[in-house]
Amino acid sequence: MAGTSMRYFEARGLTVNYDRVRAIADVNLAFDEGQVASLIGANGAGKSTTLRAITGLVPLAGGEVWFDGARIDQLPAPRRVEIGVAMVPEGRRVFPQMSVRDNLLMGAYARKDRGAIASDLERILVRFPRLKERLRQGAGTLSGGEQEMLVIGRALMSKPRLLLLDEPSLGLAPLVVRDIARLIIEVNRDEGMSIVLVEQNSRMALRVSQYGYVLETGRVALEGPSDNLLNDPKVKELYLGG
Amino acid sequence: MEQILVNGAILSANYALIALGITLIFGIMNVLNFAHGQMFMIGGLIVYTVCVVFKLPYAVGLLAAAVIVGLIGMLLERTLFQRVMRISSREENTMLLAVGTALLLENIALYVFGEKQRGIPPMVSGVYRLGSAFLPANRLLVFAISLALIAAVLLFVNFTRQGRAMRALAQDRTATMLMGVDVNRISMLGFGLGAALAGIAGGLLISVSGVNAGIGTAISTKAFIMIMIGGAGVIGGALLGAVALGFAEAIGYALFPGSVTYLLIFTALILFLLIRPQGIMGKPWG
Repeated sequence: MAGTSMRYFEARGLTVNYDRVRAIADVNLAFDEGQVASLIGANGAGKSTTLRAITGLVPLAGGEVWFDGARIDQLPAPRRVEIGVAMVPEGRRVFPQMSVRDNLLMGAYARKDRGAIASDLERILVRFPRLKERLRQGAGTLSGGEQEMLVIGRALMSKPRLLLLDEPSLGLAPLVVRDIARLIIEVNRDEGMSIVLVEQNSRMALRVSQYGYVLETGRVALEGPSDNLLNDPKVKELYLGG
Repeated sequence: MEQILVNGAILSANYALIALGITLIFGIMNVLNFAHGQMFMIGGLIVYTVCVVFKLPYAVGLLAAAVIVGLIGMLLERTLFQRVMRISSREENTMLLAVGTALLLENIALYVFGEKQRGIPPMVSGVYRLGSAFLPANRLLVFAISLALIAAVLLFVNFTRQGRAMRALAQDRTATMLMGVDVNRISMLGFGLGAALAGIAGGLLISVSGVNAGIGTAISTKAFIMIMIGGAGVIGGALLGAVALGFAEAIGYALFPGSVTYLLIFTALILFLLIRPQGIMGKPWG
């Protein structure tokens, strides 16, 4: 990579096939430490696939992923969690029959500094007082908004340096979506956390992020600073409801 | 009456080891382990070999049963089950594989150990009296070891990092991978632990009633009855099913001639499943 200056996170030419059908093709992403980047686009545009490729849940048919100076796309998925890439999957996916506390502890599974887990749990419960009240409750009994907070808290327990959020607002009431958006902003601001936010709720995503990508049928159709995208006539018409 | 309670409690504790093992494997991997009874049988015959043929202490035999059957389970998981689960899209395939594994283990056991019924002398002699009931010291020891192991398994599954990962894997494979868990390793460990429990149960029961190479299917059937009563994949259900079957057997053997007991148990089970097909603690959707 001589001669080129490397960004904190770079995905270069990501290509993924599902049973020979191309899901994403030549997707390029790049952002700096502490930034929030958003991926917006219609259903099936390849947003989730892009995140799954970054975490190693799906194999790459082509392309590279670079994170903090190291190439990570050849690492097995568990190893990527160890080096600080955490993903909150679409549809929340709490462990429903485990307590809130055990869900959070699962988040810390890959950590090497086990002595610090207890104090981090305390710290996260300060951020999520609702979870603290429900610590012994089964995660399946929480409301949708509480479950979303739980899975974000669970991801934070892995002490990530890069947080990937897949449709955190999906199926939540508008007021709850606002809470989640505020939470993402706070986590980014307070911990300097780099975040990739995948959203169908394009307005929310562009307001929370500094830089945005618009995916169409598996390709990056448009990218730019989020403020510019918010005012782009095409984005307005197609993704922000006119 | 007191004798029934004593016998029921002892049977229940031993059955709970069998049910816990099959539940771990089913919960984590969604594999119904038809070979569970054969693993039990091999555990028993290992104890026989170590204690009677090699004349080593019982503790060594039990440890060998746990380790060897556990390793057999891990090997089967790594070489056969993991591969079949990866390349096949139908769940029945792992069941067929498990049936095949059962036949394989049974025939290996026939070849290695022969078809004779094998038993070992009691580890401890003496009989206690509990009210009007007789309680042989050997059975009390089997009971105590079973209880200690049940407690150890529950503590492991509920309070350790690996145990938590096993529970997580049973609930959501993708989410578990996202926690940085090497799911292949955890499912191999879970399969090994389940198999080891079957081996220990066989190693304990051989000191009470003996074991032969053909006993596997009968034991697997009992394991299935227990998880059908309690609810498949639920640890609490496995324990409940074990207690239900243990006491049903103890009561039946006290009141009826031998073969009638299981006729009644099966009839009751069919009626029960008509009313509650998911078992007492099972979820209706799976």
